[in-house]
Amino acid sequence: MDFFTSMDISATALAAERTRMNLISSNLANVNSTRTAEGGPYRRKDAVFTATPLKEGASFGAALSQATSARSVQVTQIKEDPRPPRLQYEPGHPDADPNGYVAYPNINVVEEMADMITASRSYEANITATQASKSMALKTLELMR
Amino acid sequence: MPVQGIFGNTVELLGKTLDLRAKRQSVIASNLANVETPGYTPSDLSFEGRLKDALKQGATPTATPHPRHIPLKGASVSLDRVQGDLVQVTGSNMGPDGNGVELESEMGRMAENQIMYNATVQLLAKKFEGLKQAIRGTL
Repeated sequence: MDFFTSMDISATALAAERTRMNLISSNLANVNSTRTAEGGPYRRKDAVFTATPLKEGASFGAALSQATSARSVQVTQIKEDPRPPRLQYEPGHPDADPNGYVAYPNINVVEEMADMITASRSYEANITATQASKSMALKTLELMR
Repeated sequence: MPVQGIFGNTVELLGKTLDLRAKRQSVIASNLANVETPGYTPSDLSFEGRLKDALKQGATPTATPHPRHIPLKGASVSLDRVQGDLVQVTGSNMGPDGNGVELESEMGRMAENQIMYNATVQLLAKKFEGLKQAIRGTL
């Protein structure tokens, strides 16, 4: 009986979804940022999720998770979106190129909002999973009364 | 086991069920954790059939592969060996990123697993309560 494994798995998902949420917030916040430290407009960032076995020794149930092939999730990379920047004709803008076009970040607000809803829904689902594991573990403790 | 007579198969069976349901919970948690991971195929732990088979085997302890083998007594032996099978869930609609997790069905399976787990704990508690009453001789 090991509920800490399932709780650990759900916890990795919560952390991953939070990272994604941070990136979405960052994308939305910088939807009009034309200057960055690296130069050029801000580039949209996205998290790459990878299913990984729980780290060895992360918990007592790590061996079990290997046996059942239950896998946690990890953000393995934060990728910059390769799509070209959005060009907008604004000759008066200080960052306008000689032709009068300003390179704005390649961010689609609607896309970010949709991503945000998915991230928050899966965060909720994983909270529910944690609650389920917790209530099952507590139920077992009732046997000792 | 000298106390085999008292506990019978019930405690063994319920204990094994709890163990498998806990494992199933971590498999479902894993599917939920990877609901956004590209290329992830969800799996499920199926064991009810195996448990049934193990109980049947226990009912006929003479079922030995060789006549000179010593028959193992009781269902507990075969129950102990039940592991459950990890099966891949083939969802009806797989997303374009190759992720096959269906949030709704995973939540449904998790709720079912949780309820069945709690019911099993309840059964186990009742069993122990009955034993306690028998020992005390009070009703």
